[in-house]
Amino acid sequence: MPIRLRINGEDRVSNSDPLSPLVDVLRDEFFLTGAKPVCREGFCGACTVLLAGEPIASCLMPAGLVADREVRTVEGLAPEGDLSPLQRALEEHDVVQCGMCFPGLVVTLTRYFERAEHPSRTDMKAALAGNVCRCTGYERILDAALSLVRTAETP
Amino acid sequence: MNHKEGLTSGTCRLSGQPETGLYVAPTLDDAVAALAERGREAAPLAGATWIMRAPLRQERHLFYVAIGQIAALHDVSVDDRNVSIGACATHAELIRGLAAISDCRALALAAGNAANPAIRQVATIGGNLCAADFPAADLVTALLCLDAEIELQGPQGRDRISLSHFLEIRTSLAPGQLVRRIIVARAQRRSVHVRLPLRKAGDYPVAIFSLAVTLNESGGVVGASAAVGSVEPTPRRWHELEAELVGHPLDPIRAAEKARHHSAALRGRDAVEAPGWYRVSVLPSLVRKAVHALREPHER
Repeated sequence: MPIRLRINGEDRVSNSDPLSPLVDVLRDEFFLTGAKPVCREGFCGACTVLLAGEPIASCLMPAGLVADREVRTVEGLAPEGDLSPLQRALEEHDVVQCGMCFPGLVVTLTRYFERAEHPSRTDMKAALAGNVCRCTGYERILDAALSLVRTAETP
Repeated sequence: MNHKEGLTSGTCRLSGQPETGLYVAPTLDDAVAALAERGREAAPLAGATWIMRAPLRQERHLFYVAIGQIAALHDVSVDDRNVSIGACATHAELIRGLAAISDCRALALAAGNAANPAIRQVATIGGNLCAADFPAADLVTALLCLDAEIELQGPQGRDRISLSHFLEIRTSLAPGQLVRRIIVARAQRRSVHVRLPLRKAGDYPVAIFSLAVTLNESGGVVGASAAVGSVEPTPRRWHELEAELVGHPLDPIRAAEKARHHSAALRGRDAVEAPGWYRVSVLPSLVRKAVHALREPHER
């Protein structure tokens, strides 16, 4: 039986098994390959997407539980061909290395900045506890993300 | 859609395996009826974070009844006598619901530090209780030290049992029987939850320790409930340590010594992230940390 999904503002229909991990449905049916299945146990965060506005591990989310709920992937964070301010800051600071963790990390930080009244390095580290990066050591990611705060505060 | 249909049919085109069925129950009565009818081939599904890893454990049900959409099962309600928590309350909902409840601090700490933010957004207290093969259940350990009770709902009606008893029978619940809510009685107590993950956050903890104490006017311990998680296959109370704490002031050094003395009561489990002997060996440190945290700032 088809599953009705709403992904990045568009109505979509999946014909997958309802217990299929959402990450596989996004990638294999809809070719939204930003979210990546890596650990498949909810540890690494490479598959992070927003469900009803909150970051979740899409490797552990059955597609059948997502019916009629808003899914937002990294591809939907900015208009096509454009970058969000966070994505632009990460690019300008030359932060990305292998790229495996970045879609999930960008989704997590996007939600963090939507909610945080006073973004801080410490709070961002806590928010990123479920996004494992083996390349960068995180500090330059945090520097780039915090540059958004300094930019916003600059009169 | 009724539970006789669900979302299913045929063979999964991606895996070639028989498809599983999924019924999203709109009410608790519907969920109970669907589970009872399907018997042992069906299982309830809440946050799904444990069940979605079932292939790694070579486990499989043919039919799942999703209960996470039932609003009443997410209720976290507080009155003077009890805290009542719906079985599908997520870790994130628990954090919000318990923020101002000082006598349930152990549970709030457990909910706020388990796993990682994305998992806490969907993983439920009921799932934490029912995942019998998950030894590192933070919420279960905290609930043990708070003497929680479990309310079950089944085709024959409701039943209320102690958490300790539930842990003994949870793998043999009757078809259609599921956890409806968790009840924690209010009390004049201090409680804390400490854990040792391999990294600062995000890992399964090597050992978990939850402690609740009741103090007299001069600060002496008159009641103690201590629970250990992740050391053995199932979280459990540490009665030997509880007996040592009662009748004494909160003394972190003494408590750690007693924990070391009574460590022989525990059988540490071997797993890929840590051997059993190590899990037991770190417990005195966790006990010291917990007792220190329970002392008022001016007592430290």
